[in-house]
Amino acid sequence: MPDPIHQFEIKRIVPLDLFGLDATFTNSALFMLLAVVLIAGFLIFSMQGRSLVPTRLQSLAEMLYEFVANMVRDTMGGHSHDDGHGHSHEHGYMKFFPLVFTIFIFILTLNMLGMIPGFFTSTSHLAVTAGLALLVFVTVLIVGFAKNGLGFLNLFVPSGVPIYVLPLVVAIEIISFLSRPISHSVRLFANMLAGHITLKVFAGFIIMLLGAGGAYGVLSILPLSMATALTALEFLVAFLQAYVFAMLTCMYLNDALHPGH
Amino acid sequence: MGRPRPRKNKYQDIAQFERRVSELDKKLGKVRAEKAAEAVSHGGSAVGGRGMSYGFRIGSEFVGAILVGAAIGYGLDLLLGTKPWLLLLFFLLGFAAGVLNVMRGYQQLQGDISRETGGNIGHSVPDNDDD
Repeated sequence: MPDPIHQFEIKRIVPLDLFGLDATFTNSALFMLLAVVLIAGFLIFSMQGRSLVPTRLQSLAEMLYEFVANMVRDTMGGHSHDDGHGHSHEHGYMKFFPLVFTIFIFILTLNMLGMIPGFFTSTSHLAVTAGLALLVFVTVLIVGFAKNGLGFLNLFVPSGVPIYVLPLVVAIEIISFLSRPISHSVRLFANMLAGHITLKVFAGFIIMLLGAGGAYGVLSILPLSMATALTALEFLVAFLQAYVFAMLTCMYLNDALHPGH
Repeated sequence: MGRPRPRKNKYQDIAQFERRVSELDKKLGKVRAEKAAEAVSHGGSAVGGRGMSYGFRIGSEFVGAILVGAAIGYGLDLLLGTKPWLLLLFFLLGFAAGVLNVMRGYQQLQGDISRETGGNIGHSVPDNDDD
Protein backbone atom coordinates (compact mmCIF):
# COMPACT_ATOMS: atom_id res chain seq x y z
CA MET A 1 0.00 0.00 0.00
CA PRO A 2 1.33 3.47 -0.85
CA ASP A 3 2.34 5.51 2.15
CA PRO A 4 -0.44 8.09 2.80
CA ILE A 5 1.95 10.42 4.63
CA HIS A 6 4.49 10.52 1.84
CA GLN A 7 2.64 13.33 0.04
CA PHE A 8 3.41 15.77 2.86
CA GLU A 9 7.15 15.29 2.72
CA ILE A 10 9.13 18.52 2.46
CA LYS A 11 11.69 18.39 -0.33
CA ARG A 12 14.60 20.77 -0.50
CA ILE A 13 14.94 22.46 -3.87
CA VAL A 14 17.43 25.28 -3.36
CA PRO A 15 19.40 25.03 -0.10
CA LEU A 16 19.81 28.48 1.39
CA ASP A 17 21.40 29.59 4.63
CA LEU A 18 20.61 33.09 5.90
CA PHE A 19 22.83 34.07 8.86
CA GLY A 20 22.60 30.60 10.37
CA LEU A 21 18.86 30.33 9.67
CA ASP A 22 17.74 27.51 7.43
CA ALA A 23 15.85 29.39 4.71
CA THR A 24 15.88 26.59 2.17
CA PHE A 25 13.55 26.99 -0.78
CA THR A 26 11.35 23.89 -0.47
CA ASN A 27 8.46 22.44 -2.44
CA SER A 28 6.15 24.09 0.13
CA ALA A 29 7.68 27.48 -0.64
CA LEU A 30 7.46 26.71 -4.36
CA PHE A 31 3.71 26.19 -4.15
CA MET A 32 3.23 29.31 -2.04
CA LEU A 33 5.15 31.24 -4.67
CA LEU A 34 3.04 29.63 -7.39
CA ALA A 35 -0.11 30.66 -5.51
CA VAL A 36 1.09 34.26 -5.23
CA VAL A 37 2.00 34.38 -8.92
CA LEU A 38 -1.38 32.86 -9.89
CA ILE A 39 -3.36 35.29 -7.71
CA ALA A 40 -1.45 38.37 -8.81
CA GLY A 41 -1.55 37.29 -12.44
CA PHE A 42 -5.28 36.57 -12.32
CA LEU A 43 -6.22 39.82 -10.60
CA ILE A 44 -3.98 42.02 -12.75
CA PHE A 45 -5.00 40.32 -15.98
CA SER A 46 -8.73 40.21 -15.23
CA MET A 47 -8.90 43.86 -14.24
CA GLN A 48 -6.98 45.03 -17.30
CA GLY A 49 -10.04 46.23 -19.20
CA ARG A 50 -11.88 47.86 -16.27
CA SER A 51 -14.99 48.07 -18.41
CA LEU A 52 -18.34 49.13 -17.00
CA VAL A 53 -19.85 45.95 -18.44
CA PRO A 54 -17.36 43.40 -17.11
CA THR A 55 -15.91 40.52 -19.04
CA ARG A 56 -16.22 37.05 -17.56
CA LEU A 57 -12.85 37.19 -15.82
CA GLN A 58 -13.47 40.71 -14.57
CA SER A 59 -16.82 39.77 -13.07
CA LEU A 60 -15.15 36.78 -11.40
CA ALA A 61 -12.62 39.13 -9.81
CA GLU A 62 -15.40 41.52 -8.83
CA MET A 63 -17.45 38.71 -7.29
CA LEU A 64 -14.42 37.68 -5.25
CA TYR A 65 -14.02 41.26 -4.07
CA GLU A 66 -17.70 41.59 -3.22
CA PHE A 67 -17.70 38.27 -1.37
CA VAL A 68 -14.84 39.25 0.92
CA ALA A 69 -16.07 42.83 1.27
CA ASN A 70 -19.46 41.55 2.43
CA MET A 71 -17.78 39.20 4.89
CA VAL A 72 -15.76 42.09 6.35
CA ARG A 73 -18.86 44.31 6.46
CA ASP A 74 -21.02 41.63 8.10
CA THR A 75 -18.53 40.69 10.81
CA MET A 76 -16.92 44.04 11.56
CA GLY A 77 -19.62 46.52 10.60
CA GLY A 78 -22.03 45.46 13.33
CA HIS A 79 -21.45 48.64 15.29
CA SER A 80 -22.98 50.99 12.75
CA HIS A 81 -26.57 49.88 12.33
CA ASP A 82 -27.66 51.23 8.99
CA ASP A 83 -29.35 48.44 7.11
CA GLY A 84 -31.45 50.46 4.68
CA HIS A 85 -28.70 51.65 2.42
CA GLY A 86 -25.88 49.27 3.30
CA HIS A 87 -22.56 51.04 3.16
CA SER A 88 -23.18 54.60 4.16
CA HIS A 89 -20.35 55.08 6.63
CA GLU A 90 -17.64 52.56 7.29
CA HIS A 91 -15.86 53.22 10.56
CA GLY A 92 -12.36 52.53 9.37
CA TYR A 93 -12.75 48.78 9.44
CA MET A 94 -12.42 48.64 5.66
CA LYS A 95 -8.75 49.46 6.31
CA PHE A 96 -8.38 45.78 7.13
CA PHE A 97 -10.01 44.61 3.92
CA PRO A 98 -6.66 44.16 2.10
CA LEU A 99 -5.35 41.92 4.91
CA VAL A 100 -8.49 39.78 5.03
CA PHE A 101 -8.70 39.55 1.24
CA THR A 102 -5.05 38.53 0.98
CA ILE A 103 -5.40 35.87 3.67
CA PHE A 104 -8.60 34.48 2.15
CA ILE A 105 -7.43 34.26 -1.43
CA PHE A 106 -3.97 32.97 -0.44
CA ILE A 107 -5.37 30.11 1.63
CA LEU A 108 -8.09 29.37 -0.93
CA THR A 109 -5.54 29.13 -3.73
CA LEU A 110 -3.19 26.94 -1.67
CA ASN A 111 -6.06 24.61 -0.73
CA MET A 112 -7.31 24.37 -4.29
CA LEU A 113 -3.80 23.83 -5.68
CA GLY A 114 -3.49 20.95 -3.22
CA MET A 115 -6.55 19.31 -4.78
CA ILE A 116 -4.71 18.85 -8.08
CA PRO A 117 -3.24 15.32 -8.06
CA GLY A 118 0.50 15.27 -7.50
CA PHE A 119 0.57 18.84 -6.17
CA PHE A 120 1.79 19.76 -2.72
CA THR A 121 -0.59 21.29 -0.14
CA SER A 122 1.28 23.98 1.78
CA THR A 123 -1.65 24.50 4.17
CA SER A 124 -1.31 20.89 5.36
CA HIS A 125 1.76 21.99 7.35
CA LEU A 126 1.30 23.51 10.78
CA ALA A 127 4.27 25.84 10.21
CA VAL A 128 2.44 27.60 7.38
CA THR A 129 -0.96 27.88 9.08
CA ALA A 130 0.58 28.85 12.41
CA GLY A 131 2.56 31.55 10.63
CA LEU A 132 -0.66 32.98 9.23
CA ALA A 133 -2.53 32.65 12.53
CA LEU A 134 0.30 34.37 14.43
CA LEU A 135 0.32 37.15 11.85
CA VAL A 136 -3.35 37.74 12.67
CA PHE A 137 -2.77 37.39 16.44
CA VAL A 138 0.09 39.93 16.48
CA THR A 139 -1.91 42.29 14.25
CA VAL A 140 -4.81 42.10 16.71
CA LEU A 141 -2.49 42.88 19.64
CA ILE A 142 -0.84 45.82 17.88
CA VAL A 143 -4.10 47.28 16.54
CA GLY A 144 -5.83 46.71 19.88
CA PHE A 145 -3.24 48.54 21.94
CA ALA A 146 -2.69 51.25 19.32
CA LYS A 147 -6.41 52.05 19.03
CA ASN A 148 -7.52 51.66 22.64
CA GLY A 149 -4.31 51.90 24.68
CA LEU A 150 -4.72 50.03 27.93
CA GLY A 151 -8.47 50.01 27.30
CA PHE A 152 -7.78 46.97 25.15
CA LEU A 153 -7.40 45.02 28.41
CA ASN A 154 -11.14 45.53 28.92
CA LEU A 155 -11.46 42.58 26.58
CA PHE A 156 -10.50 40.41 29.55
CA VAL A 157 -12.80 42.07 32.06
CA PRO A 158 -16.47 41.43 31.26
CA SER A 159 -18.82 43.96 32.79
CA GLY A 160 -21.20 43.02 35.58
CA VAL A 161 -19.05 40.35 37.21
CA PRO A 162 -18.88 40.37 41.02
CA ILE A 163 -15.44 41.27 42.35
CA TYR A 164 -14.81 37.96 44.17
CA VAL A 165 -14.97 35.84 41.01
CA LEU A 166 -13.26 38.45 38.83
CA PRO A 167 -9.74 36.93 39.07
CA LEU A 168 -11.10 33.57 37.99
CA VAL A 169 -13.05 35.08 35.09
CA VAL A 170 -10.06 37.13 33.95
CA ALA A 171 -7.86 34.01 33.97
CA ILE A 172 -10.45 32.13 31.91
CA GLU A 173 -10.78 35.04 29.48
CA ILE A 174 -7.00 35.21 29.03
CA ILE A 175 -6.78 31.47 28.33
CA SER A 176 -9.66 31.83 25.90
CA PHE A 177 -7.83 34.66 24.15
CA LEU A 178 -4.53 32.76 24.00
CA SER A 179 -6.27 29.70 22.58
CA ARG A 180 -7.30 31.65 19.50
CA PRO A 181 -4.14 31.28 17.41
CA ILE A 182 -4.02 27.57 18.32
CA SER A 183 -7.53 26.72 17.15
CA HIS A 184 -7.18 29.17 14.28
CA SER A 185 -4.12 27.40 12.86
CA VAL A 186 -4.77 23.79 13.90
CA ARG A 187 -8.23 23.72 12.33
CA LEU A 188 -6.98 24.61 8.85
CA PHE A 189 -3.93 22.37 9.08
CA ALA A 190 -5.79 19.36 10.53
CA ASN A 191 -8.61 19.57 7.99
CA MET A 192 -6.25 19.64 5.04
CA LEU A 193 -4.01 16.91 6.48
CA ALA A 194 -6.86 14.58 7.42
CA GLY A 195 -8.67 15.12 4.12
CA HIS A 196 -5.66 14.31 2.01
CA ILE A 197 -4.74 11.26 4.07
CA THR A 198 -8.30 9.91 3.80
CA LEU A 199 -8.30 10.41 0.05
CA LYS A 200 -4.96 8.65 -0.28
CA VAL A 201 -6.04 5.72 1.90
CA PHE A 202 -9.22 5.09 -0.09
CA ALA A 203 -7.33 5.43 -3.36
CA GLY A 204 -4.83 2.90 -1.95
CA PHE A 205 -7.68 0.44 -1.27
CA ILE A 206 -8.62 0.52 -4.96
CA ILE A 207 -5.09 -0.46 -5.98
CA MET A 208 -4.91 -3.19 -3.34
CA LEU A 209 -8.25 -4.74 -4.34
CA LEU A 210 -7.39 -4.62 -8.03
CA GLY A 211 -4.01 -6.12 -7.26
CA ALA A 212 -5.63 -9.01 -5.34
CA GLY A 213 -7.31 -9.97 -8.60
CA GLY A 214 -10.40 -12.01 -9.37
CA ALA A 215 -13.56 -11.33 -7.39
CA TYR A 216 -11.72 -8.75 -5.24
CA GLY A 217 -11.33 -6.54 -8.29
CA VAL A 218 -15.11 -6.06 -8.47
CA LEU A 219 -15.15 -4.86 -4.86
CA SER A 220 -12.82 -1.99 -5.78
CA ILE A 221 -15.91 -0.10 -6.95
CA LEU A 222 -16.72 0.55 -3.28
CA PRO A 223 -13.58 2.53 -2.41
CA LEU A 224 -13.72 4.16 -5.83
CA SER A 225 -17.18 5.60 -5.17
CA MET A 226 -16.03 6.63 -1.69
CA ALA A 227 -12.95 8.37 -3.08
CA THR A 228 -15.12 10.20 -5.62
CA ALA A 229 -17.50 11.42 -2.94
CA LEU A 230 -14.58 12.40 -0.71
CA THR A 231 -13.02 14.43 -3.50
CA ALA A 232 -16.21 16.50 -3.74
CA LEU A 233 -16.24 16.89 0.04
CA GLU A 234 -12.58 17.95 0.03
CA PHE A 235 -13.33 20.74 -2.46
CA LEU A 236 -16.05 21.95 -0.10
CA VAL A 237 -13.69 21.75 2.88
CA ALA A 238 -10.94 23.55 0.94
CA PHE A 239 -13.29 26.48 0.36
CA LEU A 240 -14.94 26.39 3.81
CA GLN A 241 -11.63 26.40 5.67
CA ALA A 242 -10.38 29.42 3.73
CA TYR A 243 -13.71 31.12 4.47
CA VAL A 244 -13.61 30.26 8.18
CA PHE A 245 -10.02 31.42 8.53
CA ALA A 246 -10.82 34.77 6.91
CA MET A 247 -14.04 35.21 8.87
CA LEU A 248 -12.32 34.55 12.20
CA THR A 249 -9.65 37.05 11.19
CA CYS A 250 -12.44 39.61 10.81
CA MET A 251 -13.91 38.69 14.19
CA TYR A 252 -10.59 38.94 16.01
CA LEU A 253 -9.85 42.30 14.37
CA ASN A 254 -13.33 43.43 15.39
CA ASP A 255 -12.43 42.60 19.00
CA ALA A 256 -9.29 44.68 18.64
CA LEU A 257 -11.31 47.68 17.42
CA HIS A 258 -14.12 47.31 19.99
CA PRO A 259 -12.74 45.56 23.09
CA GLY A 260 -15.93 45.99 25.14
CA HIS A 261 -18.17 42.99 24.77
CA MET B 1 -36.68 60.58 -37.80
CA GLY B 2 -33.91 62.82 -36.74
CA ARG B 3 -36.27 65.23 -35.06
CA PRO B 4 -34.79 66.31 -31.74
CA ARG B 5 -36.83 65.18 -28.79
CA PRO B 6 -38.69 68.05 -27.16
CA ARG B 7 -36.42 69.19 -24.42
CA LYS B 8 -38.03 68.84 -21.03
CA ASN B 9 -37.64 71.03 -18.07
CA LYS B 10 -34.62 70.01 -15.95
CA TYR B 11 -36.78 69.72 -12.84
CA GLN B 12 -39.27 67.52 -14.61
CA ASP B 13 -36.39 65.18 -15.48
CA ILE B 14 -35.31 64.98 -11.90
CA ALA B 15 -38.86 64.31 -10.74
CA GLN B 16 -39.18 61.53 -13.28
CA PHE B 17 -35.86 60.08 -12.22
CA GLU B 18 -36.86 60.06 -8.59
CA ARG B 19 -40.16 58.40 -9.44
CA ARG B 20 -38.25 55.64 -11.26
CA VAL B 21 -35.89 55.24 -8.33
CA SER B 22 -38.77 54.80 -5.90
CA GLU B 23 -40.41 52.23 -8.23
CA LEU B 24 -37.14 50.32 -8.38
CA ASP B 25 -36.89 50.50 -4.60
CA LYS B 26 -40.33 48.91 -4.28
CA LYS B 27 -39.44 46.10 -6.69
CA LEU B 28 -36.19 45.48 -4.86
CA GLY B 29 -38.03 45.35 -1.54
CA LYS B 30 -40.38 42.70 -2.93
CA VAL B 31 -37.50 40.57 -4.21
CA ARG B 32 -35.75 40.82 -0.85
CA ALA B 33 -38.91 39.82 1.01
CA GLU B 34 -39.33 36.80 -1.29
CA LYS B 35 -35.74 35.78 -0.72
CA ALA B 36 -36.11 36.00 3.04
CA ALA B 37 -39.32 33.95 2.89
CA GLU B 38 -37.53 31.35 0.79
CA ALA B 39 -34.70 31.12 3.29
CA VAL B 40 -37.21 30.47 6.06
CA SER B 41 -39.21 27.88 4.12
CA HIS B 42 -36.04 25.97 3.27
CA GLY B 43 -35.29 25.70 6.95
CA GLY B 44 -32.37 28.04 6.45
CA SER B 45 -30.54 26.02 3.81
CA ALA B 46 -28.54 29.11 3.00
CA VAL B 47 -27.31 28.94 6.57
CA GLY B 48 -26.84 25.16 6.40
CA GLY B 49 -23.62 25.30 4.35
CA ARG B 50 -22.17 27.51 7.02
CA GLY B 51 -23.30 25.10 9.74
CA MET B 52 -20.44 22.81 8.85
CA SER B 53 -17.94 25.63 9.19
CA TYR B 54 -19.40 26.52 12.58
CA GLY B 55 -19.06 22.89 13.60
CA PHE B 56 -15.37 22.83 12.75
CA ARG B 57 -14.86 26.15 14.48
CA ILE B 58 -16.58 25.41 17.75
CA GLY B 59 -15.04 21.96 18.13
CA SER B 60 -11.49 23.13 17.63
CA GLU B 61 -11.94 26.15 19.88
CA PHE B 62 -13.03 23.90 22.72
CA VAL B 63 -10.00 21.63 22.39
CA GLY B 64 -7.66 24.57 21.78
CA ALA B 65 -8.56 26.27 25.05
CA ILE B 66 -7.97 23.06 27.05
CA LEU B 67 -4.57 22.58 25.43
CA VAL B 68 -3.53 26.17 26.13
CA GLY B 69 -4.70 25.89 29.73
CA ALA B 70 -2.76 22.66 30.26
CA ALA B 71 0.34 24.14 28.57
CA ILE B 72 0.27 27.23 30.82
CA GLY B 73 -0.13 25.04 33.91
CA TYR B 74 2.69 22.75 32.88
CA GLY B 75 4.98 25.71 32.15
CA LEU B 76 4.24 27.38 35.50
CA ASP B 77 4.80 24.02 37.25
CA LEU B 78 8.24 23.75 35.68
CA LEU B 79 9.07 27.34 36.66
CA LEU B 80 7.79 27.19 40.24
CA GLY B 81 8.45 23.52 40.97
CA THR B 82 4.88 22.85 42.13
CA LYS B 83 4.72 19.78 39.97
CA PRO B 84 1.18 18.52 39.47
CA TRP B 85 -0.95 21.23 41.05
CA LEU B 86 -0.86 24.16 38.64
CA LEU B 87 -1.28 21.78 35.72
CA LEU B 88 -4.48 20.48 37.31
CA LEU B 89 -5.73 23.98 38.10
CA PHE B 90 -5.06 25.42 34.66
CA PHE B 91 -6.39 22.33 32.95
CA LEU B 92 -9.72 23.03 34.63
CA LEU B 93 -9.49 26.75 33.80
CA GLY B 94 -8.78 25.75 30.21
CA PHE B 95 -11.87 23.59 30.24
CA ALA B 96 -13.90 26.55 31.47
CA ALA B 97 -12.39 28.73 28.74
CA GLY B 98 -13.31 26.05 26.19
CA VAL B 99 -16.92 26.06 27.34
CA LEU B 100 -16.86 29.86 27.13
CA ASN B 101 -15.59 29.62 23.53
CA VAL B 102 -18.37 27.18 22.64
CA MET B 103 -20.99 29.45 24.19
CA ARG B 104 -19.69 32.48 22.29
CA GLY B 105 -19.57 30.53 19.05
CA TYR B 106 -23.14 29.38 19.57
CA GLN B 107 -24.35 32.89 20.33
CA GLN B 108 -22.79 34.04 17.09
CA LEU B 109 -24.37 31.24 15.12
CA GLN B 110 -27.77 32.20 16.49
CA GLY B 111 -27.15 35.87 15.76
CA ASP B 112 -26.22 35.05 12.16
CA ILE B 113 -29.27 32.90 11.61
CA SER B 114 -31.73 35.37 13.06
CA ARG B 115 -30.13 38.20 11.06
CA GLU B 116 -30.48 36.29 7.80
CA THR B 117 -34.00 34.98 8.28
CA GLY B 118 -35.42 37.91 10.19
CA GLY B 119 -35.64 35.87 13.38
CA ASN B 120 -38.41 33.72 11.95
CA ILE B 121 -36.73 30.38 12.16
CA GLY B 122 -38.63 27.91 14.29
CA HIS B 123 -41.32 30.35 15.37
CA SER B 124 -43.41 30.34 12.20
CA VAL B 125 -43.44 26.56 12.01
CA PRO B 126 -46.75 25.16 13.37
CA ASP B 127 -46.38 22.73 16.24
CA ASN B 128 -47.75 19.29 15.35
CA ASP B 129 -47.44 17.80 18.81
CA ASP B 130 -50.62 17.21 20.74
CA ASP B 131 -49.29 17.93 24.20
